[in-house]
Amino acid sequence: MKQLTPEQLDNLEQDLNAIRDEVLADVGDRDARYIRRIIRLHRGLEVGGRALMPLGFIPPVFAAAVASLGLSKIIENMEIGHNVMHGQYDWMNDPALHSQTYEWDNTCTGDSWRRTHNYEHHTFTNIIGKDRDYGYALLRLSDDEKWKPAHSLQFINYVLLSVFFQWGVGLHELEFDRLRRGEIKISDKKQFLKEFFRKGGRQAFKDYVFFPIVTLPVAPVVLAGNVGANLIRNLWASSVIFCGHFTQDAETFTEEECDNGSKGQWYLRQLTGSSNFTGSKLMHMLSGHLSHQIEHHVFPDIPAHRYREISPKVQAVCKKYGIHYNTGSFARQYGTVVKRIVQYSLPDRLRLKLAPQTQAA
Amino acid sequence: MLSLLATKPSLHWLGKQLFNREDPAAFFDPLLERINPMWVRQYVPARVQAVVDETADTKTFILKPAARWGGFVAGQHVTIDVDIDGVRRTRTFSLSGAPAQWKNEGTVSLTIKRLTGGLATNWLHDNLASGDVIGMGEAFGDFRLPEADEPVLYVAGGSGVTPILSQLEAMAQRGYQAPVTLLYFVRTQADIIGAEKLHALRLNWPALTLRIIATNEGESPEYLKDTHFDDVPGVNARRCYLCGPKGLMDLAGELLAKRGIEEDRIHSTFFSVPTATLDGDSLGGEIHFSRSDIKVTSEGDAVLLETAEAAQLSPQHGCRMGLCHQCSCRKTSGTVVNRLTGRASGPGEETIQLCISVPRGPVSVDL
Repeated sequence: MKQLTPEQLDNLEQDLNAIRDEVLADVGDRDARYIRRIIRLHRGLEVGGRALMPLGFIPPVFAAAVASLGLSKIIENMEIGHNVMHGQYDWMNDPALHSQTYEWDNTCTGDSWRRTHNYEHHTFTNIIGKDRDYGYALLRLSDDEKWKPAHSLQFINYVLLSVFFQWGVGLHELEFDRLRRGEIKISDKKQFLKEFFRKGGRQAFKDYVFFPIVTLPVAPVVLAGNVGANLIRNLWASSVIFCGHFTQDAETFTEEECDNGSKGQWYLRQLTGSSNFTGSKLMHMLSGHLSHQIEHHVFPDIPAHRYREISPKVQAVCKKYGIHYNTGSFARQYGTVVKRIVQYSLPDRLRLKLAPQTQAA
Repeated sequence: MLSLLATKPSLHWLGKQLFNREDPAAFFDPLLERINPMWVRQYVPARVQAVVDETADTKTFILKPAARWGGFVAGQHVTIDVDIDGVRRTRTFSLSGAPAQWKNEGTVSLTIKRLTGGLATNWLHDNLASGDVIGMGEAFGDFRLPEADEPVLYVAGGSGVTPILSQLEAMAQRGYQAPVTLLYFVRTQADIIGAEKLHALRLNWPALTLRIIATNEGESPEYLKDTHFDDVPGVNARRCYLCGPKGLMDLAGELLAKRGIEEDRIHSTFFSVPTATLDGDSLGGEIHFSRSDIKVTSEGDAVLLETAEAAQLSPQHGCRMGLCHQCSCRKTSGTVVNRLTGRASGPGEETIQLCISVPRGPVSVDL
């Protein structure tokens, strides 16, 4: 882990706070118009996709409908839901965009997400053993975790997790690994499971029962299209999120390292534990601006479309303190993620022989 | 069709499943709003039909709410929602027209004075024009006409006359027989709100006695005095309605009480945040916003909503005067004093309104 003196950490904190204050002072009409435009786009794509789907027996219409519905789910989850639930638009005082009550088009309940993501992941980012998002207790991505034979098949787990990503996210709070180890009891999770089944059932009912049934003669087409749209969203969301913390240079931390707990140290951890990818404006929007994962982790509650604008300033701060600003093309960053999953699926001796650069510093 | 989604329980349930929201009909708002803003379901949309200048700093906005709006009785208020610089602002105003206007023409009137430094009133004056659509809430308030005809005395100050204009018009239309007197305090004759309406009422409705007192036109300012009441025939037997600035209302209430008029025959309504006299020394304390894990100290009679906002939290809120309950939230421990009533809460867990709750000692809020 990059080390800074306490004084440097204080300065880092002030420098980043200054960027945040500058944005907050300027937040207003432009941000409101932006998110309303995105919401309008989402509604248009969802209505369009659902309306076209029954005509999906014509192949090009099927492709258009699946793409439209898939994009609508991506935009709703990434640019609207995730960001609204972070409180990025609470200042608008619109009850439909309030962080504590927003419910998204995903099997994970908003409440569960607010607990596991907003609190656990954003507070304990990349601290092995505390940030349960690190590898989702399913993947070994650093040698902080001891290799076990089961890890050799983890690439299959990764593919499955990506395909069923929304269900994985929905069940994240179940803490299956801790249940298996007997650290917690299933009865502790009764309330969670009740809510999960309600929300998951609602989502499955909508996409896999209701819309196919109301279009009965073409139900298989609509069912297939809805499965396809969910799959597109799952693959994209999982890839974007994996690029945010599991790239080659994204650092991990131990609990001892983070004892100090100052805001400056938290900032440093967010900067070094996150990674960005470059791309077009559209790509940034479709990623919910998690293409700027670094900026997002440093300032989780400022409107996300601002991340692109403040990126040069954050980079300048990183340069000032000699902190590596981890970015690259989507293909490159994603490549390092896949490599990391594969490398750490191998026993340490084999891994170090094939990829000596993964030797811990 | 969308109204069925809101009113029919089975469709409402289905809509919740499909759109993941408690108000499923509003799912389509972002699209419908573009076609016709009057089709929005999240709030009751109301279109501005006309804007009439009352005085140099007061305008009457004539609004046509969507047909589903529930109507009102004379003397009630509504909240309106406007987006100012991206932020939704909710403000409360009195309905200044008679209910018959809504019944016959489907319109309502809001008479709004420009307040110095007021964000919303200035915005409304400068920006709201014919054809615009704003959000409106349902009418509320218990400043209501007596059920049977009986002598009435109104004491109004400045823009506090607005709910009274509505009541006078309604009384004239119903052919109210008992004597009605309005003591209306204005700064100068040019500040009379609803001057035309008042004069027309006086001409056509003999029961009404109109007395306008310009406070700032003479050598020395003229305020409410006991002699003003002496001039009102049978004043002690009248039902009294007060609406105006706090100073005027307090004074009128005191003078009327001295005359032995019972408390339940004196009705008052507020048009600015009323504040009970709070014992400043014991107020304030350590506040813990538990969900965001922020601890701050508040001093004096600062309300929790303001303290939370100063701590960079953005709790949901509306009227900021204890009316709309948008800011209701769970207090998990500690005592708060209600700014409206001056009453203290219990120490335990309960729902409080952030905008009127002043902490007394350490308080923990689920925010």
